This record gives sequence, structure tokens and C-alpha cells, in this order.
Amino acid sequence: MSSLLPVLVNSLLAAGLYATMAYGLAMIYGVMRIINLAHAGVMMLGAYATFTLFTRFHMDPFLSLLVVVPLFYFLGVLVYRAIVRRLPRASAGPSMESLLLLFGLWLVLQNLAYFIWTGETQSILTGYTMKSIEVLGVRVGLPLVFVFAASAASLLFLNLFLRRTYAGRAIRAVTQNRDAAWLSGIDAERVSAAAFGIGTAFAGAAGTLMSTMYAFTPDFGRSFLLKAFCIIVLGGMESFTGVAAGALVLALLENAVSAWTPIPTTFQDAISFTLLVLALVLFPKGLPGLAAGLSRKVTAR
Amino acid sequence: MIRNSLRAIIGIGCLLAGVSFAHAQEIKIGAVLPITGKESKIGGAYKQATELAIKEVNDAGGLDLGGQKRKINLILLDDTSDGAKSAQLVEQLCAQEKVDAVIGGYGSQLVQAQSVVPERYGIPYISGGAGARGIYGRSKWVFGTLSPVDVLSQTQMDFLSSLVAAGKLRKPLKIALITENTEHGKDYVQGIHDYLKAHPGTFSIAVEESFELYAPDFKPLLTRVQNAKADLFMADAHLEDFISMQRTYTQMGLTHQMLTYGARGSDAAARKALGPATDYIFASGWWSDLLPYPQVKAFNAKWKTATGAEPQWYHATAYETVRVLLTAIRKAGSVKPDAVRSALASVELKDSILPGGVLKFTSTGQAVLPFVVTQNKPGDKVDIVWPREAKTGDPVAPIPR
Repeated sequence: MSSLLPVLVNSLLAAGLYATMAYGLAMIYGVMRIINLAHAGVMMLGAYATFTLFTRFHMDPFLSLLVVVPLFYFLGVLVYRAIVRRLPRASAGPSMESLLLLFGLWLVLQNLAYFIWTGETQSILTGYTMKSIEVLGVRVGLPLVFVFAASAASLLFLNLFLRRTYAGRAIRAVTQNRDAAWLSGIDAERVSAAAFGIGTAFAGAAGTLMSTMYAFTPDFGRSFLLKAFCIIVLGGMESFTGVAAGALVLALLENAVSAWTPIPTTFQDAISFTLLVLALVLFPKGLPGLAAGLSRKVTAR
Repeated sequence: MIRNSLRAIIGIGCLLAGVSFAHAQEIKIGAVLPITGKESKIGGAYKQATELAIKEVNDAGGLDLGGQKRKINLILLDDTSDGAKSAQLVEQLCAQEKVDAVIGGYGSQLVQAQSVVPERYGIPYISGGAGARGIYGRSKWVFGTLSPVDVLSQTQMDFLSSLVAAGKLRKPLKIALITENTEHGKDYVQGIHDYLKAHPGTFSIAVEESFELYAPDFKPLLTRVQNAKADLFMADAHLEDFISMQRTYTQMGLTHQMLTYGARGSDAAARKALGPATDYIFASGWWSDLLPYPQVKAFNAKWKTATGAEPQWYHATAYETVRVLLTAIRKAGSVKPDAVRSALASVELKDSILPGGVLKFTSTGQAVLPFVVTQNKPGDKVDIVWPREAKTGDPVAPIPR
């Protein structure tokens, strides 16, 4: 039986990866109440963009974030202005039209990738891909450590951006109440475009980071998308700290089940979905909602 | 005027009759392959090899059928790697195109979907791209040239036993058995279990786990492997999972006396993705261009001239699938479905380039041929290390740390 420390270290690092996949999805849902089914397609495109920069210009994958992030931001704004803003707005939740449209976009991106890069399996091998270091006595892959660092930096950036800048505050205002924000003079359309751009940029960045760890084809991202859904439901769909906490809970559960129970690892996905169902039934507002509820109970006593 | 019109009509009639006679002289072969979509890489390779095999026959004047040379008309359709579409296209070939035989696709999932159609139309069907046992034996019209995956894992066990007999590995040996949760993976596991039952004493299983395709994190799974302290690591995985798993395996610093990912190992994409981390991995394959048969050397040269590239195993199996079908049609002496089916059931392609040199089908319609075991060596070198009579180099065992 494994001891506690390896489980904690592995879970923390896996959570970094999971959170990276989910930030973009949470940003778009928070502002527009749209579940971006094209998220996996954008991650895949991010991986291929990184691959192209690596093979054509010998650019290090982590350095290529400097190109991928702005490029995908503008791609997101373009997609928003061209198609997403034409969708009927549903205040209660994602409309069927948005789900169908973004699923269609995913298929288009997939076929575009087949056309450009073919279905051949691609990967990126750098000098550090196979390297590992010891973290608290646990041997872990160097790319995963870098991904964790990027994820932590993203969380810090998102929190500072949303709290300290006008654009960030405007995004939060639109997230909380779109009409009230509009009445206060905030251009909700512009904010939505920016949020879709940021969400797309984060998805592209997630693709870049994952390309350092996985081989990929145009089908890449499907299994990650399902995990990302589970994480944003756990995280409360609107809070990035909640998303990070959701990622940690999922990673902890997966690693703990594997280390301390005889349940076969093939049930890893079943764990994610059981957690998803439990979260939706027991605390639909996610972990932040659960924490707020508990805190209210303690205060009442 | 009327006479001229009559002449024209008669002329056109003769021309059309001539065209239809010429069509009647053709042998119509249909093929449904995944030329686009997720299986497009190997599907495209199957297309290339199928077309080459047919071109060779047509360039030689056609297939000799009862003393008459008949050209082959290949109708090739793309199923976009979609199972439902794949079955529908096979149906289209049988019902609308009225083909004389169908060549099936690549990938057990797609071939499984296709394989229910030939029975409905009574058309001979042969696939060069599906090794799952479950596909065969259900319809007398379905044939396949890929040997079953359980034979693949049993061949690997034979190879490992030979290393024990040679004193390179010391028994008892504990196996970590890790497979994908697919028909392919299950057949692989079945092969190992059958072998252990038939040959008790040398090997035992220390840990047995499966994983879903394209798993995001292999760390929990490999932690179990680490804790099991096995001597041999035997996995069966698709290329993407092989790359991800072997990266995590290397980063975790895992070592075993021998290491395999089933049929994966010497793929160019994997060596590019993993570099020296693929050294000493052994793999079983349906074919190798290193096989020391004269017909393999001739095929290698022919393929290189035609395409400018080295042939891979899937080129060879696709090529042989066409050859064995055409041999059966020639043997049948006609394109009558029953005659071709019977000929396929009893055909023996004696100059086959596949391992063993003779391609024939068992009673289920699936060929059961020996596998070759290759081992990667440093510097991108690959050797056939099993069977003994085909080996091009000595196996390195145990893997040097």
C-alpha cells in the first residue's frame, strides 16, 4: 500500500494539469452561460500549433505559449463575433442552439486538422520530455512539474486580472448579472467577446501544455473534455479558485482509489462521472457553494 | 435519311453492346477503407497497397480466368473511419455496384461493423486489417489475413520461454499485465492466460490491469505496477497510449527484465516520440521487412521502387489480402460467389510474404500465421529475434539498466 506523501504529490501535479484544461471552459460558461463543446477541438488545435512551431521554428513548447495565447485569444474573439454572438441568449442555462453550434465547430476543427496535419500520430520530444525530478521524495516527470507551475501561474493571473483590472471587474459584473452590468455602462457584448477570447486562449494554452506530455491526433481532447466538465461542475462553474479545488478533489480521489483500494484503474472515468452526478445532486453550486453553506450553518450556531 | 438514322442506331447499339461486353469481362472488386478520419494513416496505406497489387495484375494483362485474361475494376470507397458508414458502403457495393468480392477495411471495430453485410448478399469478403477473433466464424463469407491477437501474445510467451531456456532470464518470473480495454486487449490477455495454463511453473501474473483508450494519466496505473515488483512488463496499447505510458514509465524510473507493448515498439512515430526510451522494447508483428525470404526481399524492392519508401507491416498484409483473393478467384475459374468462397476456404498462397511463407485460412475464415518478434536496439536498429529461423540478431535479455 502506498503512503500518503506520493498520493498527495501525484494528486497535486495531476490537479495542475486538470485545472489547466478547465479554466477556459469555466471562463466562457461564467460569462455567457455557454458550454463550449468546441473546447476539446481548441485544445487539439493548440497542441498542433505548438507542434508546428516546434518542428518548423524549433520553438520550445513552453516558449510557444507567447505565440499561442495571443493567437488563440484573437481566434476566440473572431469566432465570437462571427458566430457565437448570433446565438439566442438564454439566461437560465446553455441553449440547445449553442450546444449544437459549438459541437459543429468542434467537428469542423477536427476535419480541418485532418486536412492540414493528416491523422498521423504526432508528438513533441524535447530534451526534458523524459526527465524527472524528486519532489518530497517522489519521482515525477519534469513536463508535469512545468505544467503545474503554468497552471498555478494561470490561477494567480486570473485572480489578479479579475480583481485588480477594469476589464476583469467588468467580466465579473457580467458574470453576476449581465443586464445590471449593461445598465451600469458596461459594454456586455465587448466583455463577452473578450471572455470568449480569454477562454479560447486558455484552451489553446492547455493544448500547448498537454502536447509536452501526450501524443496527439485530430481526435485529441475528447477524454480530457469529460474530465473538464466534471471539474467545472465541482468548482462551481464561475470561480477559478473553485475550479482549481475541483481539479484537486478529482485528482486526489483518482490517486487515492488507485493507491488504497483494489478497484481496477479502468474505473478512473467512472470515478469522475460518479463525482459529477453526486456534485450535481448534492451541491449543484459546486465546492464554493458547499463551503458557503457549511460556513452559514457554523455562523448560525 | 431513314437509312442513315438506322445505321447510326445500329452503330450506337453495337458500341453499347461492346462496352457492356467489356464490363462483363471485368472482375469487379469493391473495397471500403478508412482513407480519412482517425484510421486514415493506416487506411491510406491499405489503399496504396491494394491499388499496387491490382495494378500489377492489370499491367500483366489481367487475371487469368479459365484461359481468358480479365482486367480488375477496383471500386474503392472511403468510410471516413465511421463504423456505421463502413457497413452501409459495403452494402452499397453488394447491392448497387454488384461487385464480385469485397475487400474490408482496417481496424477491428470497422471490420466488425462491415462483416455482418456479406452474409445478406452472399458475397465473398476478405479483410487484411482485423485480428479480433470475434469477427470470424460467424459467417462463411468472411475471411481475414490478420492472425489473432491471442496468438501474438502466445508468441511473445514462447519467446520469453526461449530466453529462460537459454539461461538469459531466471525463473520464476512475475508478469505485470497491462492492456487496453478493447477486444484487442482482451484477446491479448486471453493469449497469456491460455499460455500460463498450458505451461505452468515458469511465469505468474503479479498484477493485471486494464485502461480506457487515450487515458489522461497513467501514473496511478503504473504506481500499482511499481508496487507489484514484477520481473516482466507486458502491455497491449494503441500508439498514443504506448507513447504516453512509456513516457510516464521512464519518468518514474521503472525497470523490468523485459518490456513489451504488444504490437507496438518499432513504429517510427514512437521512436520519434520516445527516442532512446524505446531501446530494448520487444514487439510482435504480423510482418517485418527483415524476414529472410526471397519473396520478401523482392517485395521490399518492388515497394520501394513504386512508392519510394520502406514497406511497413500494413502494406504487406493489405498486399497479400488482394493476392490471396485473386488467387482464389483464379482457382475458382469464375467469379460465381459460391465458387470464390469455396476457393478462398481451401486456397494456399505458397509464395506468401507473410511469416511462415504460406497463407491459408482456418475453418473460421481467419488465417493463423506465426508472428515475428522484433527487438529495438540502440541507434534505431531493429532485429528479428524470434522465431529462431528468421532471426537477424540475438535478443538482449535482461534489458541492461
